[in-house]
Amino acid sequence: MAPRDGSQERISTPDTVEKGMATINTLRIGVKAFVEKDGERRKAEILSIKESKKGEPTFYVHYEDFNKRLDEWVPASRLDLSQEVEWPQPEAPTRKSQKSTAPAPKSATLPKSTVGQKRPRTSTTVATSRKSSETPELTTTSGNASKAVRPSLVGGKENRPGSDNSISVIAPEIISGTPKAEDSELDLVDIQDAAAAAKASNPQHNAPYSREEEIEKLRTGGSMTQNQTEISRVRNLDRIQMGAFEMEPWYFSPYPSNFTAADTIHICEFCLSYFASLQTFTRHRAKCNLLHPPGNEIYRDSSVSFFEIDGRRQRRWCRNLCLLSKLFLDHKTLYYDVDPFLFYCMTTRDSHGCHLVGYFSKEKESAEGYNVACILTLPQYQRKGFGKLLIAFSYELSKREAKLGSPEKPLSDLGLLGYRAYWAETVTDVLVEHEKNSRDGRGSGEVSVEEIGALSAMTTNDVLHTLQNLNMLRYSKGQHVIVLTEAVLEAKEKAKAKEKAKGTARRRIEPDRLMWKPPVFTASSRTWNW
Amino acid sequence: MTRAGALSQSRMRQRKLNTRAALQIVREDDLHEADDDLPRVLSGLDSGVEKAEQNEHHLQAALSASQAAVIGGKVAQIYIPTPDAVQSSLQYDKLYPLTYAQPATYVRFSSTVEDCAGCAYDMNEDDHTFFKSMNKKKDASTQCSEDQFEEIMNCFEETAQAKQPYAAVDSPPVLSYDEIESSMDDYLDDHARPFTREIYEHWKTRRLGAGNKNLMIGLKFETGADTDDADPYVCFRRREVRQIRKTRGRDAHSAEKLKKLRKELEESREIMAMIRQREITKREQLAVERQLFEQRANLRQVKLNLPDQYKEGDEDILINQKPKKKPLEIAQRAPGNQYRLPQRSDGRSSDADLVLLSDLLAEQERLLTIDIDTKIAQHQQWNVGYMDMTKAPLTPPLESDAGSTFRTATTEYLPTPPASISSEHSGDVTLDFSVLAMGKADSVAVRYASPSYDGPCHSQPSFRRRYGRGGRLWIDRRGMRLPPKAGFDSPDADRFKYDDDDDEDEVPVYFADPFDTESMQFRARLFPTPSSQAQMQARRAQMEVFSHGASHSSTSVRPSRQAGPD
Ligand SMILES: [Zn+2]
Repeated sequence: MAPRDGSQERISTPDTVEKGMATINTLRIGVKAFVEKDGERRKAEILSIKESKKGEPTFYVHYEDFNKRLDEWVPASRLDLSQEVEWPQPEAPTRKSQKSTAPAPKSATLPKSTVGQKRPRTSTTVATSRKSSETPELTTTSGNASKAVRPSLVGGKENRPGSDNSISVIAPEIISGTPKAEDSELDLVDIQDAAAAAKASNPQHNAPYSREEEIEKLRTGGSMTQNQTEISRVRNLDRIQMGAFEMEPWYFSPYPSNFTAADTIHICEFCLSYFASLQTFTRHRAKCNLLHPPGNEIYRDSSVSFFEIDGRRQRRWCRNLCLLSKLFLDHKTLYYDVDPFLFYCMTTRDSHGCHLVGYFSKEKESAEGYNVACILTLPQYQRKGFGKLLIAFSYELSKREAKLGSPEKPLSDLGLLGYRAYWAETVTDVLVEHEKNSRDGRGSGEVSVEEIGALSAMTTNDVLHTLQNLNMLRYSKGQHVIVLTEAVLEAKEKAKAKEKAKGTARRRIEPDRLMWKPPVFTASSRTWNW
Repeated sequence: MTRAGALSQSRMRQRKLNTRAALQIVREDDLHEADDDLPRVLSGLDSGVEKAEQNEHHLQAALSASQAAVIGGKVAQIYIPTPDAVQSSLQYDKLYPLTYAQPATYVRFSSTVEDCAGCAYDMNEDDHTFFKSMNKKKDASTQCSEDQFEEIMNCFEETAQAKQPYAAVDSPPVLSYDEIESSMDDYLDDHARPFTREIYEHWKTRRLGAGNKNLMIGLKFETGADTDDADPYVCFRRREVRQIRKTRGRDAHSAEKLKKLRKELEESREIMAMIRQREITKREQLAVERQLFEQRANLRQVKLNLPDQYKEGDEDILINQKPKKKPLEIAQRAPGNQYRLPQRSDGRSSDADLVLLSDLLAEQERLLTIDIDTKIAQHQQWNVGYMDMTKAPLTPPLESDAGSTFRTATTEYLPTPPASISSEHSGDVTLDFSVLAMGKADSVAVRYASPSYDGPCHSQPSFRRRYGRGGRLWIDRRGMRLPPKAGFDSPDADRFKYDDDDDEDEVPVYFADPFDTESMQFRARLFPTPSSQAQMQARRAQMEVFSHGASHSSTSVRPSRQAGPD
């Protein structure tokens, strides 16, 4: 596809971008050039340059409008220097404030396909292989474990300064992959209209923070967000081996700096200690006798156990956990220590021990009423419905605390999808239950937004957003009503059918199995760093 | 669903929604197409994702897909592509043995990673090579174990860390074996000792190769240097002490404090201003006085020049006259105060004018009596020709029977053993018990070695019985000697009034103790000298009543009043 089609003007943003032809030798950090990616050309910013082993330069690039986890090292051959590149601006004081809002639906050219990409079997294959033209599994409310959106991560709270503001508005791809024939039947117009509408109402960027402001916010805010530096923009580890799995890290994590040289970092599955060599790791395994997260088990059902770990009492373990999760959480920061947090760790059990699947951290005392700070399903366990279970558990704790909760912002992309799916499902369940009761003569068939919140420990705001996202909140005959839409009900039915077909019920948190009282901390421990 | 709906953003205007209001749950079918507001897709809401990332292609694709689904579009669900995890090539079962047995109850656990991971030093590839070659040189009985090797290495590392904490910064020479040897006892048992020297050489080599830095590379913690902040590898900083949360109460408290402070400052400022004013006034006064003096001097001169113009009182002008004593002052006083000491305004006191306290009191008493007498006279004057009927309901009826008259009280003593020797006056008192036993009260004689009490005895004590209002039985006493109380207006009692308590020489006299020998003797004196059997009977009856109505007994004040002119 031509990289310079209509999108070019919109992408190449502001008024005064210095452009020009470049050679390999004149390229430097900050330059934006077109890079070949999966058979197309994407504009990408060069974040780092190094010599390969053969003495050729390689470039670490970030593709604009793609998540940082796709950043990668590319050889010079993939750079398209036949086109002009954008030179970095010398720290212009004026950030571009506005960008084009015209969302010209470039429907014809839209699929920036990810098919054939070496990261295998992404949603594309899953989605398309899973049939369904007439009954597409479309909603996030279906509750089907296999297609649950992986809510793998959620960031720390404060907005990091947007380092990259040149975001174009591009009509959404309906399918991130080559649409199959059936898929082309989809009502593209509809979707694009909706998306366009969504875009049009999108608020534009807020002013970026200065670095000083950001540090100050970190200092006073008690959060876990990342501080952005040049080094930390480049992924520092190549490969992680943990338990029975190996995976690629997604983001930078401040493991010892000489770990960068190692091919694979070994992580002990139980104590989460890290080793740059197989020899040391093997020796550690010979000695390490930890078999589960070092805390109290507070929940156990047939498939999972939850452990509660106090950051202050298990500093080493919690630091190890944070280092590990930073590999997969862009917005997490390890700037400050782990003391003010509790870590709720989900494990599966077998005769090897309790394997860490995911966790969420939670401030011992959250001024903003957050019930989750960071949340992560380890990559080797993603897309199995664990994320939703983690989220459900966090709300179960909130219910036990008799509080409404919401996750700390910003959310990551995966976090947002995971939470939206959970919220949609939860709210739908409440509404269906209410409707059913009223049909059976119990209850009025009416419910307020706050009641839904109280039943689910969701904040009123989250309930409201969910209702609106599901298009359930309507205005009829002069009053608001909640509509159980066909789409929602259909999705629910389908999820049920699938559960039946599979013979396994969806994983749920059973409140009776939670042996937990909200921990109380003394005033002195709160004042003195926990 | 209507396509147009999504397009017409203008109709998406939010009506205010009360989050507490109960909303009807309806099916889409129940909703009349006509009055249904067009479906709204509100993705413009704050998603919670960072703004810069909100427009990432994959996220937007996924969101759009789910939104499309919501309004009935048919789309497949979209995942955000992520790098996949793969099975590790390592042999999992070897590294993680099957040792876990799940307890029946929920796990409770508090050991730390340090507790569970054994020796902190883990042998690396270099170590392993050296370790193998070292053991090869030894026979089977003296092999070094991996654990021992690591313990020794750990000992070296820990000692170096303790003795050269800043090795990373100031790069001192590698610790010598002798320097380490002293601390080995803390780390190593005897079995490991034979290998230390050998392993030290290996450790030294590795240490030199690493620039004498710690071989166990850890995380980068804050060093306090300025570069910390920018270094992304520096992590897990200590949090500053949490700010104490502000509360309304605390705010109010501080506000109160500030108000008080301000008030005090304003007050002191006012005081300073007033002091200033006073000093100014003083200066003016001095100036006036000076002027006055000068004018007087002038006047004197004038008068000296004109001696024939002399007038009586002219001299008075030349000096400051004391203001005249206000006669009013004395006139306003109560009559009893007429005899106050004359004021010594002139600073001289005349001893001759000294007035005795007793005289004063006597005079006061006299005036009181006069006053009462005049009042009585007045009262009688008013009542001439009238009969006062109002008195009757307020006062008890006149007692006509003989019982109403006061009878003299006599005390009867039962035989008692002789007073103990220790008693102060025991030697002075003799009781003739034989006589008493015979019932001859008359002959009971009490002798005193000295008068028991130097105060005057007013009268024989006597009692009477009467009925008061509501039929209450009263015992009126008269002639009882009560111990003088404070404020008792007797001149003798007043005598103590100005005495200092601290005066050790003169112990104040209290008359309250009923078992005091003196008061017992006093009570004995109540015994009447002439008495008859009948009187004794009457007295006994009297005593019974007395004991019954003890709580009603009126004080001596009451009878004296009743004896008064009413
Ligand atoms: Zn371990």
